[in-house]
Amino acid sequence: MPGTLDLLILRTLAPEPLHGWGIAQRIRLVSQSALQVGQGALYPALHRLYAQGWVRAEWRGTEHNRQARYYALTRAGRKHLEREQAQWERLSAAIGLVLNQE
Amino acid sequence: MRWITILDRRCRALLRRGVAERGLEAELGFHRERQIAANLAEGMPLAEARRQAALDFGGVEGFTEAAREARGLAWVHDLVPDLRFGLRLLRRSPGFSAFAVLTLALGIGINVALFTVLCAAALRPLPVPKAERLVTVAQHLASTPGADFSRNVHDDPTFVSWLEYRRYAAENRSLGGLAAYSPFVDTTLDNRAPILGTMTSCNYFAVLGIRPALGRFFAPDECATAGAGAVAVLSDAVWRREFAGERGVLGRTIVLNRTPFTVIGVAPPGFAGTVPVASGFWAPLTMQRAFSPNFNFIGDPNQSWLALLGRLKPGVSMARAAADLNVVAARMNALQPGRRTSVALAGATYLAMPSLRSAVSSASVLILAAVALVLLLACANLAGFLLARAEGRRKEVAVRLALGARRGRLIRQLLTESVLIAALGGFAGALAASFATPALFHLAMSHLPIAPEFHFTLRLAPDWRTWLYAFAIALLTAIAFGLAPALRATRTELTEAMKSGAAPGQTAALRAKPGAGRWQRRLVGAQVAACMILLLAAGLLLRGLGRVLRADPGFQLANVAAVKYDLAGAGYTPARAQAFQQQLASRVAALPGVSAVAQATLLPLGGSHDLTGVRTATGAPSHPVEYNSVSPSFFPLLGIAIQHGRNFTTVEAESGAHVLILARSTAQRIWPGQDAVGKTLDGWGAEWRVVGIAADAQVAGLGSTTSYIYRPAGPDPAADLKMLVRSRGASATLPQEVAATARALDPSLPLTAAPLAANLAATEALAKVVSALAAVLGGLALLLAVIGIYGMVAYAASLRGREIGIRMALGAGRGEVLALVVRQALAPVLWGAALGMAGFAAVALALTGVLYGVSPWDPVAFTAMPLLLLSVALLASYLPARRALAGDPVAVLRCD
Repeated sequence: MPGTLDLLILRTLAPEPLHGWGIAQRIRLVSQSALQVGQGALYPALHRLYAQGWVRAEWRGTEHNRQARYYALTRAGRKHLEREQAQWERLSAAIGLVLNQE
Repeated sequence: MRWITILDRRCRALLRRGVAERGLEAELGFHRERQIAANLAEGMPLAEARRQAALDFGGVEGFTEAAREARGLAWVHDLVPDLRFGLRLLRRSPGFSAFAVLTLALGIGINVALFTVLCAAALRPLPVPKAERLVTVAQHLASTPGADFSRNVHDDPTFVSWLEYRRYAAENRSLGGLAAYSPFVDTTLDNRAPILGTMTSCNYFAVLGIRPALGRFFAPDECATAGAGAVAVLSDAVWRREFAGERGVLGRTIVLNRTPFTVIGVAPPGFAGTVPVASGFWAPLTMQRAFSPNFNFIGDPNQSWLALLGRLKPGVSMARAAADLNVVAARMNALQPGRRTSVALAGATYLAMPSLRSAVSSASVLILAAVALVLLLACANLAGFLLARAEGRRKEVAVRLALGARRGRLIRQLLTESVLIAALGGFAGALAASFATPALFHLAMSHLPIAPEFHFTLRLAPDWRTWLYAFAIALLTAIAFGLAPALRATRTELTEAMKSGAAPGQTAALRAKPGAGRWQRRLVGAQVAACMILLLAAGLLLRGLGRVLRADPGFQLANVAAVKYDLAGAGYTPARAQAFQQQLASRVAALPGVSAVAQATLLPLGGSHDLTGVRTATGAPSHPVEYNSVSPSFFPLLGIAIQHGRNFTTVEAESGAHVLILARSTAQRIWPGQDAVGKTLDGWGAEWRVVGIAADAQVAGLGSTTSYIYRPAGPDPAADLKMLVRSRGASATLPQEVAATARALDPSLPLTAAPLAANLAATEALAKVVSALAAVLGGLALLLAVIGIYGMVAYAASLRGREIGIRMALGAGRGEVLALVVRQALAPVLWGAALGMAGFAAVALALTGVLYGVSPWDPVAFTAMPLLLLSVALLASYLPARRALAGDPVAVLRCD
């Protein structure tokens, strides 16, 4: 669904800053491998979120002492996430009601 | 604040593109490394781990592009390489590029030139400080339903009376100052030079915010009461021309229309009033009776004669000021029963006066449509050529699409090329226009029948508006001629186009033909239609010109001098005027060489008209007629025969008897099939008896078909009479001699004398300018259409080279094949021409006013112009077809 990937990325970044690979892994892990985010979708999405000011990015050393680009939510990004998440929950609840009707 | 972040990030992405790209590479490299490590950890061998990571990665190019596009400004990023690519393409075919740029420069140049003139008149603010705060105030009067109230109007119905001006000025709260002025005061300076000036309120210059170059402007007490303030400010031009730019002019006494005025100041060089015609002097409104002694405008509360110009107070919007002034306007309704007043505000420009605006806009819409058509033709040509080129580029495009380039990206690249052409053409056109417009404008104006004291205030130098306009239409044209070819070029069946690359000129090339050919034929059809419209317009106008030049006006203009003087303006009473006329007539008749003298209120072809309505009986329908009051000698002097009945008698002329002479066609129109002599007509509040029928003569205007009746020149119109003098032979000095005789009677009477034939020359000049413009536009359109047709046929013939070769190898005659190619080319020409003729016939009525009696559906023009177009089209398609056939058919076949 369009916009869903953005929402997933933003939610994944909510607890702590992560680099691109880390985001992909986290999404796979949390969704129990149901959701696989390919790089072809991930990086354009990250750059789009960056350009829109929802996330900021900085180069930092990793635990393996390599340089990686870490993404973190901006304040506007956090608000945007809250709005989008609420919207999504309303929507999925509504869809659930329709699908589970007697 | 988020948008600042966004803007900042986009700019950074653009400016530090290298950094961003390197960053992306490093980021992706890191990702791949981690993926390989993860794969290894899952137990894959190294090679497989690498392969899986790479697979997961996908196509690198498309991906970086997508990431780049996500950063937001991909098109700017691509602009430089695209521009470089476009420039390379242009350089590779210099002939086409030069042709394209020149075509567009012509099309855009003409449009920009016209825009410059319109912009100077209608869009540019007045050349005064803070002109954007100046507003014109127009008063609109209506009567409440059922009520019937009337108004005397001088110049423009939105003008206000003196009383109304005083109330608007005193009662508004939103204007820093409100000035009133009465433009176009036509008079003489020191009884020798005609001069055009403006009467103004004494705060006029203060409201405009300009300072005198010399001396001072009006003081408030000079406008206090009627008749106060016999002072004048001169324009810079008049000061230099008539007073040699001497500083001593201050305090000098000048005579304007027989009244002495003291010169108190000179306006700065850049300022010549607030209407399109330059003002030579300014005098207080309170001196109105000096300029029109028989009228008391100041004391007449029902006289519209003042234009208003206000300066908004700081911080007040135009809407608020309008609301405020409408409150004052509502109070005015008490002035007259049944009156409803409203006020409209507009930014002050030279063309603020509604009557001027409508005159200019109706003419300019026609010309604007014509030059837009020329640009359209130029666009169609370029689109045709680009289409042909796009066909040649199909293989390249197909390969790039197959390699994963996206269609939008390719379209953008192809459009960049056309934008480049348009930009170059637009720049060249605007540059040429900015140099040529002032010269052309003055050339056209110098050929128009305009009095010498008329100078135009318009500044035609290009400014940012001109450039903005040129830029906008260049961009529009680029899209207009570039989009269709770009869309077509990128809509390709991949495999087929690739195949055509493998075996050039075989099936695919033949199959590719109908699409491109259809587009081109449509374009040529549209072109021919547009060209047909312009040609028909030009043809009709040229026919009108021919009619003017060969016209038999029905009376003799040669050896007649026309002497104009305004006794009413000079303050003569009717009785004194009649005495003066008789005295002057007898003295002029005594001059050597003079054979006849006549008087008339309207001079033949003089451009003025008096209109009224007459009825055959009370309650009968009213016939609209033009009328002229003439002395009995008018008819023999001009050679207009009295065909039936009799001429006026001298007694009738002197007493103003209620008798009429009708033009023949007018009599037939009012009483079809009857003898009009002896019948009566109701008009001018009395009953008039018809005593004679005169031959039809086009005295009102060439080609004029309005009804015309003559009244005797009695005492009533005596002050308005002008004089016609016939000499025995050609006499160059006659007008001067008559003028000298008149000056001997009244030395201070403003007066002009000229050969009557000059009136015809003026009409001819207008016809010449209009038809020259039309002929140039029509010729240009024809040239562009010819290029389009030639290109289409040449291209079609080149595509069908193989087919032609086969036909000829199979024994088809050269002539047959030629006929086939030409016939196919002429199909779109024919439907285009038909479409153009139908389209023009629908709008032709708009031209009636400038055709001098030629029907807007004139059969000659409607035959000659299509024939011209068709024969030129035939030639334009025959030449390239013959060239295509010139080659050896075997060589053409072998070439595949």
